[in-house]
Amino acid sequence: MDPQDPGGRRLMADALTGFLEAAVRTATPLAFAAMGETIAERAGVINVGLEGCVMAGAFGALVAAGAGGVGAGFATSAVAGAALAALFALCVVRLGTDQIITGTAMTLLGLGGTGALYRTWYGAGGAALSVPTAGPMAVPGLSKLPVVGPAFFSQPVVTYLAALLVPVLWWFLYRTHAGLALRAVGEAPEAARAAGVATARLRTLAVVAGGALGGLAGGTLVLAQAGTFAEGMSAGRGFVAIAIVVLGRWHPVGAALGALVFGAATALQFLIQAMGWTLPYQLFLALPYVLTLGALALARGRGRPPAALGQASG
Amino acid sequence: MRLRHLALALAPVLSTACGGAKDAAPSSTFKVALLTPGPISDQSWNGGAYAGLQRIKDSLGAQVSHIQTKTPAEFDENFRQYGAQGYTLVFGHGFEYQDAALRVAPQFPKTIFVTTSGTTVGPNIAGMNFAFEEASYLAGMVAGATTSTGTIGCIGGTELPPVKVSFAAFEAGARRVRPDVKVVVSYLGNWDDVGAGKEQALAQIGRGVDVIFQNADAAGLGVFQAARETRKAFVIGSNANQNGVAPEVVLGSVVIDIPHALMLVAREVKAGTFTPRVVPLGLKSDVVTLVLNDALRARIPAAVLAGVDSVKGELLAGRIVVPRGTTPPVTP
Repeated sequence: MDPQDPGGRRLMADALTGFLEAAVRTATPLAFAAMGETIAERAGVINVGLEGCVMAGAFGALVAAGAGGVGAGFATSAVAGAALAALFALCVVRLGTDQIITGTAMTLLGLGGTGALYRTWYGAGGAALSVPTAGPMAVPGLSKLPVVGPAFFSQPVVTYLAALLVPVLWWFLYRTHAGLALRAVGEAPEAARAAGVATARLRTLAVVAGGALGGLAGGTLVLAQAGTFAEGMSAGRGFVAIAIVVLGRWHPVGAALGALVFGAATALQFLIQAMGWTLPYQLFLALPYVLTLGALALARGRGRPPAALGQASG
Repeated sequence: MRLRHLALALAPVLSTACGGAKDAAPSSTFKVALLTPGPISDQSWNGGAYAGLQRIKDSLGAQVSHIQTKTPAEFDENFRQYGAQGYTLVFGHGFEYQDAALRVAPQFPKTIFVTTSGTTVGPNIAGMNFAFEEASYLAGMVAGATTSTGTIGCIGGTELPPVKVSFAAFEAGARRVRPDVKVVVSYLGNWDDVGAGKEQALAQIGRGVDVIFQNADAAGLGVFQAARETRKAFVIGSNANQNGVAPEVVLGSVVIDIPHALMLVAREVKAGTFTPRVVPLGLKSDVVTLVLNDALRARIPAAVLAGVDSVKGELLAGRIVVPRGTTPPVTP
């Protein structure tokens, strides 16, 4: 791009818009999953099975969207994610099994189970690109803004839903009685129980709600992005989301910002590769993880995990 | 499909139950196994191999088994399992299985280990050389003639040597018809992430790419989706005939007839005439070909179609040798 070239500036603006759009699209499923995990971890349960919930949601979205359209697909993705999380909660909260081991089992169940069902129902030929998708919905006026308009105000409805969820979740956690009880369960379950909080029930509900959001992340992948299902298409997003929760210091706003940082780094990686620079592509692929690690190091010492995180007693 | 899976699962049980005395000597059963690096529902590399395995079962009466491996440690483990169970022929479906074959094969001299797109040969190790480069070169000619921006792209899963070779040939083919063409190559780092496939394609389209050659298996579905949504680029598919995945945007596919290739080898092994070697498979054996999408054929200038045909003839006659790029030698 020649800076003297009057068309160069427009090209630059186009590239910036494309970058921002990609950042927001990549961040959306991560934001859902990270906010879901934030709820669970605030209640003291670390759900390592989040990756499985994302896969369950993706598969649920495929099945339901084929039969009932995009809306049914999103609803089913949340239900599927919640169902797997409910199984996790049953083991962890009711039966007192180890959270990490159980969560790992749930991830394997989500990956393997969806793959087996997919082949059974759709055959080895797969579903190809047969899923209806949610197109972008432009916000009147705002979507016409230069550069940022298309990126932030011409996205599928789920993206706005993710953005809306941030203040709602903040309000719930910090401004309601139930939110206070939930945080208390994550900090000092014994004290919470003594104060009359039904700790086991609250933890179960928090895990299930978190799983529903994880499922919604999978639904977003299928219905707002890929337009198809592929085995293992979550590609580690569940685990990235768990890291983002730490990056966001167990706060919904932090989780959303963390997802945006990771989304932006991933979008930058796509853009750099498309520029055609002849450097090893592995460098670019590592970029989002390096940036996230860097952000994590900078955020060190601010905020701390819930005191009872990962402990069996509820 | 459900029945087929049941049949697969029951195959060993049934063959011992029904075969009775006839199959008493285990060596008389022709047993063929397949390891794939990814899901067989990808409509591409892995799906083709699974179809080949089914054909071997149906046509050669073989007892077959398939496992999807996730990590290199599982390559060795599963090779060993099949060797211990007395399988006659085990396919490791990809370049990446070669080291495991080298380690395991000496322990099971009665089993033949074939790595598809591998170059390793041993007393009971063979490879297959899919001549991707010939058909990819022809695909490059089509892309070079179709692009209006003069920028074309390649999107791969990971930088495996066969993928690099294929992309290098694609670039050379494009330069033959349009010497000033710009080629952008991107890799996703995996073969499953459909979302990343789509985003990478969108990023290339944003940079002016209007023909994309994809070789990313399941993740490649995202490339088709990006082209379908934007309608700003055509796609050339890989491995399987993907012209039907998105007929409105797919110019053609570099098709490896993997079932045919696996059958060729299995037939020789069953007949006892197989000699360990790198089996060459390309245009000549009709295993790797460029299949154009009839719905979009009109998009390609007639002169170019004629050129593709004549170059194909010269490739078959050996008068043109396609540059393979740089392939690192495989060391044991």
